[in-house]
Amino acid sequence: MNAQYLAGDLRALRAAGLMSLRQIRRYPTNLLGTIFWPVLLPAVWVLMGQAYSGGGDPAALNAFASRAGTTGVTLFVFVGYLMYMWLSALLWGPGTALRQEQIRGSLEAVFLTPVSRLVPLFGPTLTNIVWIVMDLFVMGLAAWLLFGVVLPLQGMLLAFAITLIGVPAMYAMGALFGAGVLRFGEIGPAVQFTRGGLSMLCGITFPIAMLPNWAQATAGAMPPTYIVDAMRSALLKSATPADLAPAAASLVALAIAFTILAVLVFRRLEASARRSGMLGRY
Amino acid sequence: MTAGPAVEVTGLTKVFEKGRRTIWQRLRREPDTREKFVAVKGIDLRVERGEIFGVLGPNGAGKTTTLRMLATLLEPTSGDVRILGIDVKTHPREVRANLGAMLSGERSLYWKLTARENLEYFAALYHVPPKEATARIESALVAVKLADRADDYVERYSTGMRQRLALARALLPDPPLVILDEPTVGLDPQSARDLRDRVRELKRQGRTVLLTTHYMEEADQLCDRIAIIDHGVIVALDTPAALKRRIRAGEVVTLEIALTGDDAALLARLGNAASIARSERHNGTLAVTAHCASARDFVPAAFDAARSEGATIQHVEVVPVSLEDVFISLTGRALRE
Amino acid sequence: MDELRAALAIARKDIRNVSRYRFLVASQIFTPLYQGVLPALLFGASFAVAGHVVGLEKTIGTTDLAGFIFLGGVMSGLVATAFWSIAMSIRNEMEAGTLEPTWLTPTSRAVIVLGRALGGLFWFAFSQIAIFGIGIAFFGLRFRPEIVLALPAVALAIVAIIGIAYLLAAVVLLIKEANFFIDCTNFLFGVASGVAFRVILLPGVLQPIAFALPTTYAMDLIRQAGLGTRPLLDPALEYVALVVTTAIAYPVGLWAYRRADRRIRRLGTINQY
Repeated sequence: MNAQYLAGDLRALRAAGLMSLRQIRRYPTNLLGTIFWPVLLPAVWVLMGQAYSGGGDPAALNAFASRAGTTGVTLFVFVGYLMYMWLSALLWGPGTALRQEQIRGSLEAVFLTPVSRLVPLFGPTLTNIVWIVMDLFVMGLAAWLLFGVVLPLQGMLLAFAITLIGVPAMYAMGALFGAGVLRFGEIGPAVQFTRGGLSMLCGITFPIAMLPNWAQATAGAMPPTYIVDAMRSALLKSATPADLAPAAASLVALAIAFTILAVLVFRRLEASARRSGMLGRY
Repeated sequence: MTAGPAVEVTGLTKVFEKGRRTIWQRLRREPDTREKFVAVKGIDLRVERGEIFGVLGPNGAGKTTTLRMLATLLEPTSGDVRILGIDVKTHPREVRANLGAMLSGERSLYWKLTARENLEYFAALYHVPPKEATARIESALVAVKLADRADDYVERYSTGMRQRLALARALLPDPPLVILDEPTVGLDPQSARDLRDRVRELKRQGRTVLLTTHYMEEADQLCDRIAIIDHGVIVALDTPAALKRRIRAGEVVTLEIALTGDDAALLARLGNAASIARSERHNGTLAVTAHCASARDFVPAAFDAARSEGATIQHVEVVPVSLEDVFISLTGRALRE
Repeated sequence: MDELRAALAIARKDIRNVSRYRFLVASQIFTPLYQGVLPALLFGASFAVAGHVVGLEKTIGTTDLAGFIFLGGVMSGLVATAFWSIAMSIRNEMEAGTLEPTWLTPTSRAVIVLGRALGGLFWFAFSQIAIFGIGIAFFGLRFRPEIVLALPAVALAIVAIIGIAYLLAAVVLLIKEANFFIDCTNFLFGVASGVAFRVILLPGVLQPIAFALPTTYAMDLIRQAGLGTRPLLDPALEYVALVVTTAIAYPVGLWAYRRADRRIRRLGTINQY
């Protein structure tokens, strides 16, 4: 690829990102949703935790700690739901964007331009980072205001760092999903099933130790598992950067693996679309 | 159902307000300052039983608004509507039971159901007695020529087939009156012709048909009488032939004239030989539509006039008078502008 | 009679329509499982000491976590039926353009909601049977035979939920961001009905809301019958409250729905979205 094409691709990527930012502005309730859900969902689960632990019965909390590694139920839940919000945005965003372009026929138009095929795949996920940072902020605030949990500064910085390290792996996973959706057709159920599967597997609402062994092994191949776990370690167990290094390394490896997979799926799809003319169809 | 006209409309008016009043404004009972848009301005209309009546007008003229008020989907701001003698305001459900309406075409069907399933569903909603339902569905399918594809999902249909299925649905209550909103819009010529044949068939069965269109040919070919509507007002109402006779001309001549200078003198000279319905200047080209008694007399006169004004006639077209010309002469605009 | 046939036709159409989207059928079972029942079960179980969820015993008088959560799933399924299958699906039809021809038939507008309720309740029953099957097979779900005594409470809850669905249909036919509205209110309504935990654990300001909802009483009565939990109030009083709130919810819902219908006819927004 020569420099001229690369510059063009970057511009196109920026345009795709801006386009999805504009979407956020057009639909203001999405913005309201970014305040409503990150606060209410975990708040309800924290209350559930209180119900199941009998309002913090030491025996119950110790039992929880033996499975989750911490007695800090509130933060455990909030971190889990941060990932849930991220997953929702990640799966809805690019999947919907690609699918809409397919339905409108504009995906064909994008394919007619000389930009790299990866632009439509990754462009719409760019704004995702805006969401996740906002959720991080809103949820930290909610944990503090509603439940009096003050986040440690070092833990927050580390959690932010692990988020950044996790971004490529998450994007790659989102891109794989987006490419899959083009084949699959229906975006709604696809999001439900994928998000459902991931939220059950990756220790989002309950400790992974509760899962059967095969499910725990599968969870080991999913980026969210590492991000959630590392964030909890940073915020609840005052982990050091060195403690989190293995998780970071796994995330980088997964990012590479998922990117390769996403590109392969997308290429295959494109090739079969060229043969069957499916790209403009829905 | 009483005797009398199929549709009787007096002083029908619909005013839409633009925007919303906030709850705050309503609570404080502030005066309503929203901009008002009068879509239909006091229309009077009488459609006799057994005729095909067309409402012709450009997009946004108020045709659809009028039809939706007749179909009880929209409440008139003022005025009276009687459908088959029944008041739409006081007895909307009786009106709906006797009215077959096709308003928004293919979008209004369930694509994941078959044609037959769609019709079974609507037959129950139209309160068709279960004993008659099967036969009524079958005959509706035959009437719109879909009997052989009745068990296919609607998603596999072409636009024309979906439009016909929507028409079949309108026939389920065996309605004496059928109203159709732009029935052929978006159809290819063959499908449109097909649908028009179905509409003529409805008349043969003794039904009254009220339809809107912005295709003048369609109105001309299909309708016994036509109301031309513009900006929410009926500007003319008569049979197509009588409407065309209003233009005291046998033929319409359109000219394309190349000229450099002022066009007033040329238009004046042309005006001596025919009545100029419309003229439009684009840079060096003047397009003129003239109504004349005979093109044989007018065209040579036009060439003479052009020559003496130093202009050149580049193109001449002679056509019979159409409803489009009637519309232009009434409103000064073309239907599709 | 005509109206009953129309209602049944609407239900049949809804059942057929959903059944033609395979993934939609699967998600009727999967979504409540992964969004509510299973994570709640595993989360609750992670507090268990030697197989006993002590917290649950303390607050409601049972250690039957699975029973508590699966019965909560019943009520949240019923609530979701009102919010999504009945109210929101009317809005979806409005956007798709299929509501207009329905509005053109002589079938009354109230029956149009009622028919959808029948269809929605069919899918509700379908998913509950499947979810209970999964619960019994994999999560040791068992109920006391006395659970049949909860049937009157379930029946009343269904009537109440249809009343609430009328009210919601009125709202979603008029507002712009219906999806977001339904998503949020459905969640809050479930929580306030006590599907996830006892309503007395709710923050004080929300408790009056919880006690104004018929579903709160129905939820508690069902759990009392099925699991022998400690009642929130005197069970007789709970029944009275359930009857009274239902008797209010239904006519109020119907009234709001009829007003919304008039407003739509004035504005002409039946197919404008």
